[in-house]
Amino acid sequence: MGHPADPRVLFYGFREDPCASWFGSGIIPPVMATSSNPIGALFRAPAARLRWLALFLLVVGVLAGLFVDPSVWNRIRGPLPEFPNKAFRLGLDLQGGSHLVYEADMSGVPQSDRSEQMSGLREVIERRVNSFGVSEPLVQTAMVGDKYRLIVDLAGIKDVNEAIRQIGETPLLEFKEGSTEPSRPLTAEEKQQLVASDAEAKRKAQEALKRVLAPGADFAALAKELSDDPGSKENGGDLDWISAGLTVPEFEKAVAALKVDEITKTPVATAFGWHIIKKTGEREAPGPEVELSNGTTASSTVPEWRASHILFKKLIETDIVPPEQWKNTGLSGAQLRRANVLFDQQTGAVQIGLQFNDEGSKLFGEITKRNVGKPVAIFLDGVLLSDPVVQQEILGGEAQITGQYTIPEAKQMVRNLNAGALPVPITLVNQQTVGATLGAESLAKSLMAGLLGFAIVALFMLVVYRFLGVVATVALLVYAALTLAVFKTIGVTLTLAGIAGFILSLGMAVDANILIFERMKEELRAGKSIRDAMDEGFRRAWLSIRDSNVSSLITCTILAWLGTSLVKGFAVTLAIGILVSMFTAIIVTRTFLRAVAGRWMEKHLWLFGVSKRRV
Amino acid sequence: MTFNVIATRRIWYGLSAVLVAASIGSIALWGLKLGIDFTGGTLLQVRFTARPAVEEIERRAGEAGVGTVHVQPVGDAEAILRLQATDEASHQKVLAAMRAGDDASVTEQSYETVGPSVGSELRSRSLKGIALVLLAIVAYIAFAFRSVSKPVSAWKYGIVAIVALLHDVLIPTGVFAALGHFAGVEIDVLFVTAVLTVLGFSVHDTIVVFDRIRENLRRHAGQPFEDVVAISVRETFVRSLNTSLTVILVLLALYLFGGVSTRSFILALLIGVGVGTYSSIFIASPLLVTWERWSSRKRG
Repeated sequence: MGHPADPRVLFYGFREDPCASWFGSGIIPPVMATSSNPIGALFRAPAARLRWLALFLLVVGVLAGLFVDPSVWNRIRGPLPEFPNKAFRLGLDLQGGSHLVYEADMSGVPQSDRSEQMSGLREVIERRVNSFGVSEPLVQTAMVGDKYRLIVDLAGIKDVNEAIRQIGETPLLEFKEGSTEPSRPLTAEEKQQLVASDAEAKRKAQEALKRVLAPGADFAALAKELSDDPGSKENGGDLDWISAGLTVPEFEKAVAALKVDEITKTPVATAFGWHIIKKTGEREAPGPEVELSNGTTASSTVPEWRASHILFKKLIETDIVPPEQWKNTGLSGAQLRRANVLFDQQTGAVQIGLQFNDEGSKLFGEITKRNVGKPVAIFLDGVLLSDPVVQQEILGGEAQITGQYTIPEAKQMVRNLNAGALPVPITLVNQQTVGATLGAESLAKSLMAGLLGFAIVALFMLVVYRFLGVVATVALLVYAALTLAVFKTIGVTLTLAGIAGFILSLGMAVDANILIFERMKEELRAGKSIRDAMDEGFRRAWLSIRDSNVSSLITCTILAWLGTSLVKGFAVTLAIGILVSMFTAIIVTRTFLRAVAGRWMEKHLWLFGVSKRRV
Repeated sequence: MTFNVIATRRIWYGLSAVLVAASIGSIALWGLKLGIDFTGGTLLQVRFTARPAVEEIERRAGEAGVGTVHVQPVGDAEAILRLQATDEASHQKVLAAMRAGDDASVTEQSYETVGPSVGSELRSRSLKGIALVLLAIVAYIAFAFRSVSKPVSAWKYGIVAIVALLHDVLIPTGVFAALGHFAGVEIDVLFVTAVLTVLGFSVHDTIVVFDRIRENLRRHAGQPFEDVVAISVRETFVRSLNTSLTVILVLLALYLFGGVSTRSFILALLIGVGVGTYSSIFIASPLLVTWERWSSRKRG
């Protein structure tokens, strides 16, 4: 440990006029130098107030510590309130998971539409990712130079390959119409079942027919007893008046062939099963007006029948395999040119406009023709987006969807439609996957290294600086608690490199203390009182602390800009560490020291590691 | 302690010259072994229930037919495989080849792939980052020392700090070039991070010494510049050593007990911090003196 060769030299020109030398240097005067400065005033406070301040800082430190790890408190708290347990946000390298970076090929998209396309893409991918069942999946877009990137973070994902496959599919936009067909073809066994059911219904019908045709039989009573038609059985099988085209052709043909009050001789087969039919009436009803060749019109008549029936139901295909609500139409996003938000010129209502290409226009015309009055649904990735009802056959490939849309809803819908319509091809350019076991190992090792690092620094300070070391260690504890509390509060994602940054900052945080203490020892050796030595130590060290930390912060800023997530994590934790360390070194260490300082110390200079007073 | 760094500066210049020459030599001779961060490629870490011999792993990898695969055993059950290919299909092929029919025998610990475009982009951004840090530091030092103009002007402090920084970057890079050649250690983004952090840390140290020179120049007005610098270095010597010792001790803890994946990162930091501390005491301040003497001699 070096003593100044000539202590008097150190003194020269310093005490006489400290302010002049500060201002003369052209450097911002240190904050503690003047008593008009509020922070400076704080440190000139009387001892009692300083002790309160020290106590307050200790309490803040303890609270921060509890916030960082509430488990101990929550176990022993008794009737006291529980401390909120907010978890640290761990990076994928510590908890296991996948980090995927995609690049979107925007070459086919006009510049002005690109960011819109990106947010559409993000929503689609987000929807897919949400179905993986991982906790808090993260989907972000990023511009790197002129490249559009999509970043997907999946924590704790089990099957990464399946996830990659599903993400990589281009968004699928489909137009579907209502369906009555079974959703899959029947198996041979099921077909057998249908045949058996048909035979059974026919047998029952034939047996029933014997009873119906028996003399004195009451058709209505038998219908009530036997019919499988819930609509007509209660009123004796009566179907009321039927005109042509209202019933299935087989039924109509059978009724037309009967005379009034006659009953079919054999059961009649239709798609529903087997019927026994009795005609109960016949009349001519007014039909549509007919335009004659001379330009006048004449009324026409159509025949109508009244009939009762007894139905013996058979199983049909959709009884075994229920129909899908929607079926494909062959129209998809590939045939949609674009979607946009429109406003009705009269009412100002928000509409969504669709433009199809030639093939799409033709298909869409056919679909709308057969579905007038019925809904045609739009699906994105199998999820129903909207099912507007077709008002008329739409030719020409331009359609509007009207509905009670708000503008944001309509915009979102258009984004979705466009994402399906103009799928931006994406390629996986960067992937990082860390298994959960490796992550847990890394976490345990980092914690171990952190604790060890802390212990080493504390030990070093205690050995070299003795009493000052105790103060520094307490300040370092406050520092660690505060920094970790900041990480939790603002949700810094802790990665392996980030934790290394924090541990490194422990070493750097203690540097401010070393600067101050070395300066204090110098002043003590020069024969100053404890108080003066402390004040000079802090005052003179501040410039070095400021300058050196500013240069480290500059580095951190550039590192964060350099920016892969790995490097960013390191830069952010180091920067937060440096900022907090400046606070703890200047405020916490100083307050603690001043709170315990007194004349008694001057008799025990060995406490500071100063062996001999040299005046 | 009567030890005078300034008086003995020729020894330190010589030592640094040897170290820097050796570093440049090792970089020129072996080049830098760039990791997949910069070249693009795939890194696959697998754990075997019973790890076969390296030759066997290489043979299996060869069967996958995805180009060259470098195998590096880690610990006693794991291996890191390096692939040029970056597509998912190759990844699956290699995994399947490693398993050789027995799915339970191999678990994938980690997988990382970097597309070639990302690699070249990171390379240019890293270089830009280093250049920016150097520029920002010169600017900051010139600003902080702007009022100190005699006998050495403020910008010279900046230039000297940069010379010291270049020294601090060159030596770890040289060591890593040698490590790359002999132990397969690669230069990745974390290495660049370490270098940039060392830049920040080293300039931190240098500034502390310069700051003391700035203060002593006023206090010891009239003394020869050389003596003022010598006094300043001695006054800050203990502090510089103690600070670096705490940081180095912490880094040692991280190196020995931290995760394997950050080990070479920590090593780069260790070397850098060590060299950085040395350069701010033994190189930066003596250089100021040399420069001052040289220009005063020129003035006549």
